[in-house]
Amino acid sequence: MQRATGAIDAGFVRRGVRTVLSTLRQEGCLKARFPARPPAAHAAEIVTLNISGGVAAGDRLAVRIRAAEGAEVIVASQAAERFYRAMEASPPASVRATIEVAAGASLDWLPQETILFDGASVQRRLDVEIAADARFVGVEALVFGRAAMGEDVRRLHFRDLIRVGRNGEPVLHDAIRMEGDAHAALRRKAIGGGARAIGTIVHAAPDAETLLDPVRAALAGHQAETGASAWDGLLVVRIVAQDGACLRAAIVAGLAVLRDGRPLPRTWMC
Amino acid sequence: MTTSPPTLTDPALLRLLAWLSPAFPTGAFAYSHGLEWAVEAGDVGNEVELGLWVADLLAHGAGRNDAILLRAAYRAEGVVALAEVAALARAMAPSRERRMESVLQGAAFAAAAAVWGRAPEIADPPYPVAVGAYAQRHGVAEDAACLAFLQAFGANLVSAALRLIPLGQTAGLRVVAALEPVVLEVAHASRSAALDDIGGDCFRSDIGSMRHETQYTRLFRS
Repeated sequence: MQRATGAIDAGFVRRGVRTVLSTLRQEGCLKARFPARPPAAHAAEIVTLNISGGVAAGDRLAVRIRAAEGAEVIVASQAAERFYRAMEASPPASVRATIEVAAGASLDWLPQETILFDGASVQRRLDVEIAADARFVGVEALVFGRAAMGEDVRRLHFRDLIRVGRNGEPVLHDAIRMEGDAHAALRRKAIGGGARAIGTIVHAAPDAETLLDPVRAALAGHQAETGASAWDGLLVVRIVAQDGACLRAAIVAGLAVLRDGRPLPRTWMC
Repeated sequence: MTTSPPTLTDPALLRLLAWLSPAFPTGAFAYSHGLEWAVEAGDVGNEVELGLWVADLLAHGAGRNDAILLRAAYRAEGVVALAEVAALARAMAPSRERRMESVLQGAAFAAAAAVWGRAPEIADPPYPVAVGAYAQRHGVAEDAACLAFLQAFGANLVSAALRLIPLGQTAGLRVVAALEPVVLEVAHASRSAALDDIGGDCFRSDIGSMRHETQYTRLFRS
């Protein structure tokens, strides 16, 4: 079977008070879109779109985004990414994102949620390299099974790594590994307590720790179990929720604090 | 790769027993790995729930990952390779207190084990890295060090639980005994695992370690 490949490589630079696209390469099933009106005045926004509709086993997708010195970049995705059931012997889908944030630059990684179908086989990796005074906010939302079909994920091969490096040193290595019956695993108390959606927010910035109390306050009262912690210029939020909607509400609340109330990309407004 | 003798020499056995004993001054008794929150939240309140909770941490959480890190530190050739394993171990902490738990126990272990000499050239090794590096330098077989580390990890959590929930000594020992197959399986499987195989899914345990930071009454530092 012919499998899809796609790549986007985009670079942004600061010109005066504005951030503009400096280089762009796009290949295969991945396309970049640029909204006419970015949500923040000085920032540039890039929206990724997978025109193959979803990700099957063996597909290979790669996104690389570079924010040069002083640039402000927002990365969003057009739609939720669906990972389809794989044949038993298929190689996993490979999804790789590489983010570089230079001195004084800022980058927001705000894709829509990832929906893992029963039988999905996925290896995903988000590599973020930031300068000491750069700022990064990233979110990954995972939904297990198609809720409308009442689907339970009974077979899964899933590796999901968020790695943040600062000045070449790893500061965060958040590796999710799930093999086999994810539905059963998520029912266990140390793992999911019956959850069907898991979310992670990572904020890396020199002042990240000062936002811990406001983030905790914003997350409280949501219909989801949430935790937040901060150390060493990092703030990490983990959310465990009954479904994608509850997860999304908590994520939106957390991002509002971490992004200082700036509006989310239009793709979040549906 | 330096290979270990298949069985422990008598001096190596003595060192392993000393280093992984609950009496060795790593301060292990002060850390609950988020269990104190799980008790507060009602997730762990009896023998069965404790056994399931610790088994998951061993097989799908820090237990398995630390086993892989310990073996990687044991096998690291040279100062640079060992420092890379240590940096990865530090970056894997899911919360501030879990990072403290690994880094402070590692520092305490290294300071105490230095009495035996042959200290590895590394600053601030996280706990599994410190144990792996010392074991290699003292001829303690890698498999034995890994088994002892996992056993100590599980037993320490059970010991913490005995201070948090109304559970008797015998019930705690039953949990430790029942965890043996899990410890053996994780130790065995980690033998062929690479650093790329690191990962877990104990999301609610990680959240527990985050929420523990603001828990009102606390016996433990994590």
